[in-house]
Amino acid sequence: MVVAIVSALLALAAVAVVILVVFAVRNRAKGSYASVKKGVRSIESVGVSSSLPDASRKGPSAAATAAASTENPADSLKPRFLAMGVLGAGIFAALAARLWGMQVLSGGSYAREAAENMYATVATPAPRGIIYDADGLALVTNRSSLTVLADPDVADDRDVLLRLSAVLGVPYNVVRQRIQDASSGAQSQRVVASDARLRDVAFISEHVEAFPGVSVQTRTVRDYPYGALAAQTLGYTGSVASDQLETLSEGREVELGDDVGQTGVEAAYDDLLAGDHGQRRVIADANGNVVEVVSETQPTRGSDIHLCLKGPVQYACDKKLAEIIAPSGVIGEGVGVGGAVVVMDVRDGGIVAMASYPVFDPSLFIGGVSQDVWDVYSSEESYNPMLNRAISGQYPAASTYKAFTSLAALECGICTEDSTWVCTGSWDGWNTGQPQNCWDLNGHGTLDLRGGIVNSCDTVFYAIAKDFYDKGQAGQMSPTAMQDFIAKYRIDQPTGIDIGGETTGRIPTPEWKAEYFRNRPEEAQWLGGDMTNMSIGQGYVLITPIELAVAYGAIATGDIMRPHVLKEVRNADGEVVVSFQPEVVATPDVSEEDLELVRDALNGVATDNASVAASFREAGVDPATMCCKTGTAEVAGQNDYAWFACYGPKDDPRYVVTCVVEQGGGGADSASPLGAEAMGAALAYDAGTLTDMGTVAGFGGESVEVTVTSTGRTD
Amino acid sequence: MAQLPQIDSLAAPDKAVARSTRKRRFPALNLPFLVVVGILVCYGLVVVWSAVANDPDYSFSRQAAGVAAGIVAMVLIWRFDYRRLAGMTRVFLVVNVVLILSPHLPVIGVTTMGATSWINVGMQIQPGEFAKITVILLDASVMARYGGRLDAPREYCKALGIMLVPFLCIMTQPDLGTGLVYLFIAATALVVGGARLKYLLVTLGLFVAAIVAVFAIDEVLKYQTADGTWEYRLLKQYQRNRLLVFLDQGGADLSDEGYNLQQAKIAIGSGGLFGKGLLQSSQGTLGYLPEAPTDFIFCVLAEELGFVGAMALLALYAALVVVCIRIARGSGDMFGMMIVMCVVGMWLFQILENIGMDVGLMPITGIPLPFVSYGSSFMVVNFALLGFIGSVWAHGAASGKKEGYAATH
Repeated sequence: MVVAIVSALLALAAVAVVILVVFAVRNRAKGSYASVKKGVRSIESVGVSSSLPDASRKGPSAAATAAASTENPADSLKPRFLAMGVLGAGIFAALAARLWGMQVLSGGSYAREAAENMYATVATPAPRGIIYDADGLALVTNRSSLTVLADPDVADDRDVLLRLSAVLGVPYNVVRQRIQDASSGAQSQRVVASDARLRDVAFISEHVEAFPGVSVQTRTVRDYPYGALAAQTLGYTGSVASDQLETLSEGREVELGDDVGQTGVEAAYDDLLAGDHGQRRVIADANGNVVEVVSETQPTRGSDIHLCLKGPVQYACDKKLAEIIAPSGVIGEGVGVGGAVVVMDVRDGGIVAMASYPVFDPSLFIGGVSQDVWDVYSSEESYNPMLNRAISGQYPAASTYKAFTSLAALECGICTEDSTWVCTGSWDGWNTGQPQNCWDLNGHGTLDLRGGIVNSCDTVFYAIAKDFYDKGQAGQMSPTAMQDFIAKYRIDQPTGIDIGGETTGRIPTPEWKAEYFRNRPEEAQWLGGDMTNMSIGQGYVLITPIELAVAYGAIATGDIMRPHVLKEVRNADGEVVVSFQPEVVATPDVSEEDLELVRDALNGVATDNASVAASFREAGVDPATMCCKTGTAEVAGQNDYAWFACYGPKDDPRYVVTCVVEQGGGGADSASPLGAEAMGAALAYDAGTLTDMGTVAGFGGESVEVTVTSTGRTD
Repeated sequence: MAQLPQIDSLAAPDKAVARSTRKRRFPALNLPFLVVVGILVCYGLVVVWSAVANDPDYSFSRQAAGVAAGIVAMVLIWRFDYRRLAGMTRVFLVVNVVLILSPHLPVIGVTTMGATSWINVGMQIQPGEFAKITVILLDASVMARYGGRLDAPREYCKALGIMLVPFLCIMTQPDLGTGLVYLFIAATALVVGGARLKYLLVTLGLFVAAIVAVFAIDEVLKYQTADGTWEYRLLKQYQRNRLLVFLDQGGADLSDEGYNLQQAKIAIGSGGLFGKGLLQSSQGTLGYLPEAPTDFIFCVLAEELGFVGAMALLALYAALVVVCIRIARGSGDMFGMMIVMCVVGMWLFQILENIGMDVGLMPITGIPLPFVSYGSSFMVVNFALLGFIGSVWAHGAASGKKEGYAATH
C-alpha cells in the first residue's frame, strides 16, 4: 500500500519534472523569439540594431557557417530540443524512481543480503564427552593432537607446499590434496597433518615467515586407553558424511567435517557426547578468504557418559575370546573363526560386558580410516571385525533352545515332571524310514524331562515336538502352540538395547515358512520335521546372543528386562543429568513350578556335565550355584557353532552370560570355558578380587583357512 | 498617450540588449558550465579513490593523471576554433575508419577476450573510445550541411549511410557496447539535425526489424559443437546470457551474468538513504561486485553514499545537460549546435545504460559512466568533448561578446 502510494507520488513528480522542463524550454524559446521580434521592431522605431547579437551574423565569420539562414537554426529546431530535453528528463526520472525504490523502499532487504554476503559463521569443533565404565574408569577419552593447518590459498603456493612436504615427511601431492579438500567448509583451515611430531611443529613455529598461511593448532581427538576393548560396543567416530547430516537427530548441530559417532555408544549417544561448537563470526570476501574475525565463542565439551560396562569384566571377556579364537592373532590357529560374549545384570538389564571377535582397532579410525585399513576390514579373510556379533550375529540357537521347548511342553500340558521317554540314539517318530539321531548315538536310555535337559537328549524333544505337531494337526491345540509360547520370551523381537545395529532372531511358523518359500511352493509345506528341528533349536531357528541373554535372564528372574549399556550421563560439572531406569519389557505368564523345574535342570547341567563343571571350577565358580545350558549348532558346510548360556547364582541370580563361538565345535568344549570365565569375572569383580585391566589388541585381519571337520555333535 | 507604447517598446529590448552586451569577468569562460564540470569531476575522483583504495590492481594516481591530461586537452581544444573543422566530413570518415579498424593491424593490434579492440603503442589504448570524438564530429558535420531541415529521402539515406560506417567498423572487432554508443550519437544527430519525423520512424522500425532478423538468422546459422551445446554465430553466448538475465530478473540464476546483476543490485540497495560512508562498501571492497571501479562504479557510489549521493550525481548530470543544451541553443551555428547535442546524446545514453544496467533497467554491457568510471582514456575523451563544447561556446557565431574575443586572435 505504502509502496503503491509512494510510487504514484514519484510518478507524479516525474511527470511534473517533465512538464517543468518542457515549459522552461518553451518559455526560453518564446523569449528568444520575442527578442528577435522586438529587435526587428526596434530597428524600425529606434534603429539600434547594430548592437544586437543577431546582427553580428553579417560579420566575416558568418561565411564559415554552412547555415543559409541568417536566423539561429535552434529556433526552427525547437521541437527537437524539446524532444532531447524530454528524453533527458525521462532518463533521470526513471533512474531516480528506480533508485528510490531500491535504496529507500527495499533497502532493508538488500542490506540483509549484503550482510549475508559479507558475514560467514565458521564453527570450531568441540571436544566430545568421555565414556566411563560403571565405576568411573575411562574407556574412551580425548587427547590433544598437534594439528598443522593451512589456509586454502596455500595450495597455490608451491614453495610453501614443498617446505611443508619436507618438514612433515608427507609427499608433495598429498599435502596439496589435503589443502585443496574443501569438505570442512570453504573458509575453514585445512588439516595438513594431525598428530604431528613436536619437533616438526616447533620448526614451523620458529620459521613463521617461511610458512605463510600455515598454523599449528592443538585439537582434541579420541583416545582409547585400552585399545580395542569393547570396540564394537563403544563404537568409533568419523567425519560426518553428507547423507548423515539429514538423518541425525534434531537439535544436533553438525557441520561438515565434524566428527560424529558412527557406531555403538558413540553413535547412540552422539547428541550427548557432542559438545556445542564454538563459533567464529567472520567477514569473508568473495573468494572465501577471512578478512576479519568479528566475534568468537569458545566450544564447550560434550557430556560424559557412564556405562554399565565393568572394565575388568569386559577385559576378561575380550581377552578370553581372543585367546580361544586367535591365540596368536591369526584366526584359524585357535578354535572357531569368531565369537561373542554378553554379560548382563539380570536385575536391571545393564550390560556388564559385551565382547565380539574379531574386533577392529578404533584408533585406526581417528581422523578418518585409511583405505588400506578399510580394505583389510572388508576382506573375507578378516571375518568382518566391524560386526558386533553380540547384537547383530544371528545363529541357530541349538540346544540352548531346549529350555524354552521344555517350558512350552510343561505349560501346554504335553508332558509333566514325571513323563519319561526312552532314547535309543535314533528316533523315527514320523515313520519315514530315515530316523533322526540323538547327538549321542548310543542312546540315553530312559529319561524324564529333567534328564532330557541335563543330557540335552534330542529324542525327548523330538517326542515332545511330535506331540505338539500331532495335537495341532488334530485340532486339539493351536498348530503353533509351541511357537506362541516361545514367543513369550521375545526371541524373535529386538530387545531394545540402546545401541544400534541390533538384528532379531526367528521363531519359524507355518505361515513364516509359506512366506519364505513362496517361490518354491513344494518346499513351503510345514512338516513334522520342521517341528522336531525347531524343538532342539535347529532348522530355521535363529537367535542373537543378546536375545538369548535376555530370555535366560527371564528364566532366572521371571522378567524380561530391556538391556542397556548406558548407566548415567553427567554434565561438564559432574552432575548426573540422565540416568537409565530399569525397564521390564514383559513378564511371561509361566507357572513358578515349571520354571523351578527348568531352573533345576539347568543347574543339573552345570554340575553333571563334566566339562562344563570343570570350566566353572577353572573360572573359580562353584558349579552348584550355576544354571546353564550348552548348545552345538549344525550349519551346512561349516564346523559346528558352539553355544553356552548360563546365569547365577542360582538362588539370587545376578548375571546372565551367553556366548557363541562360530565354528567352534561343541558347546561344552569351546563355549563353556568362555562363558564360565565371563561369569567368574563378573562375580569376582563384585567380590573385589578382579582388578586386572589391560590393553586389547585390535584384530590385524590375518587368518588361515579353517578345515571343516564335522564329527557329529557332542552337546 | 499614444506615445506611451513607443516608450514601452523602447524599454523592452533594453533587457535583451543588456543581457547580451553584459560585460563578463572572464569573457572566454562559461562559469556555470565550468562549475558543474568541476564539481562532477571532483565527485567522480572521490568515488574512484574510495573504490580503488584497497585494490592493488587499480591506481588512483593514474586516474588523476587522466584528469590532468584531459584538462590540458580541454584547454587546447577550447582555444581552437571548431569552425575550422566544418565541412571536413570526408576527413572525419577516413579518420574514423582508420581509428576503429586499427586494432586489426598486424603488429600493434591486441586481441583479448574475443574482441580485437585494443592497440599497443607503448601503452594499451582502445581506439574505439577515442573514435567517439571523431564520430561526433562526423555526424555533426554531416547534419550541419542540411541546416536543420532534411526532407529529401535521397539525402536522408546518404546521411544515414555515412553515419552507419563507424558502427559497422566497430562491429568487426566486435564491440557491441561502443557500437550502440555510435548508433545513439547518430540518432541524436538525426533527431536534432531536423530529419523528417516520418524517416526517423521508418528507420526505427527497420532497426527493430534488423534485431529480430539477427536473432532469426542466428537460429538458422547455429551449429552444434563437439560437446553437444549449440553455438551461435552472430551473437556471442555471453551477449545472449546478458539479455536473458535482463529479461528474467526474478529467476534464481545467480551464476555469472545473473550473479553480476544480483550483486550490483545488492550493492545499490544496501546503500539505503545515506549510504555506508566512503571506503565502507562491503560489496565493492570484498570483491562481490565485479569490476567495481570501472563498469560498476555507480554501485560503489550508491552503496557508500546512498540515495542522496546517487541523486547528487544525477542532479550534476542533469545540470550539465541543461547547461550544454543552453550552449547549443545559443551557438547560432548548426555545426556547433550539432556537436554539443551529439555529446549530450552520448552522455545521456551512457548514463542511462551504465546506471540502468546496475539497477536492472538495461541489459549488462561494458559502457563506462562519464567522469566517474575508472579509466584514463575515456576521461581524456570526455575532457576533449568538454573542450569542443567550450569551443562552441567561445567561438559560436551567435555570441556577441565573442566579437571582441575573436578580435584578439
